[in-house]
Amino acid sequence: MSHIKKLLAAILKKALFVLAFAFIAIQFIRPSRNSNISGKVFSADISNTYSIPKNIYALLLNSCYDCHSNNTNYPWYSYIQPINWQMESHIKKGKKKLNFSEFGDLSSRRQNSKLREIEVSINDSTMPMSVYTLMHRKARLSQEDKESLINWIELKVK
Amino acid sequence: MKKEIILMSAIIVATFSACAQEKHDHGQKETSVAKPSAEQLSAKSDSKSSNSVKEVIGFYLDLKNALVKDNSIEAAAAGVALEDAFKKFDKKNLTEAQIKLYNDVEDDAREHAEHIGANGGDIEHQREHFISLSKDIYDLVKELGSSQVLYNTFCPMANNGKGAMWLSETKTIKNPYFGKKMMTCGSVKEEVK
Repeated sequence: MSHIKKLLAAILKKALFVLAFAFIAIQFIRPSRNSNISGKVFSADISNTYSIPKNIYALLLNSCYDCHSNNTNYPWYSYIQPINWQMESHIKKGKKKLNFSEFGDLSSRRQNSKLREIEVSINDSTMPMSVYTLMHRKARLSQEDKESLINWIELKVK
Repeated sequence: MKKEIILMSAIIVATFSACAQEKHDHGQKETSVAKPSAEQLSAKSDSKSSNSVKEVIGFYLDLKNALVKDNSIEAAAAGVALEDAFKKFDKKNLTEAQIKLYNDVEDDAREHAEHIGANGGDIEHQREHFISLSKDIYDLVKELGSSQVLYNTFCPMANNGKGAMWLSETKTIKNPYFGKKMMTCGSVKEEVK
């Protein structure tokens, strides 16, 4: 009996060791980070497409830009894998749908459609995503924020 | 005589474009005569491209009629079919200007069709996308033409009171934005071909 116990303990120890090793190993697999090192506003940024009131632009920066621009404001835990992998995949998907840093490159038809979609997403609260706001409490949009965003979009949308 | 040659080559180009291409490689002289002009191109587009346009319009109208019936599931199916029609769209015979507009429209319209296809059960979301989609299809028909007469119809109450248009195959008003709630809101603004 004690034989089996000893064997089990040995296996468990090995398994833990392998897991710990794997955890350390994956820390070295780092996808490239979505950071704008120059710090300059991109020429095609939406703030160069429209004249956006400061408070509206601040809302976009604060609640949308982490996943919908070429510059993510990373939290400390973004350095830990596999959390970072998950994050990068969200950012990649988000940017594919809508990238505020490249908004000016879209045709006016596409810009209009994107604005409409932003309005719908804010209205039905699908954006910002709840997984995101769970960790970024400050990115949540209050009712007032939502209204000012939507009012601004309504001015621009055709 | 010269006219006949041009006409003949045009027919040859139109029917055997692949063969004609090969011939060009052999005889340089022929190229200058047989090179299809924009006019001939649009005559040619009576074949494949116009079939593609027809298909897009067909699925668009299916979608419109599903929304008229307040049938979200049917609308989703039409959305999927429409997206597919764009995917398979044959733009070989389009002019440069047509391709430019088509690409812009396709980019946009495909996304709308995709959303409509993915939102079976949420008819209001589908109708929201139908507003922009209708504009896209209208621009497409204006540029590429339609073998079927369509009516540009406008309802001032849709789109949160800002108004929205749609294309219909009939003059009778059947409103895709409101369905049963306000079936006859709207008026024909224009006949589009």
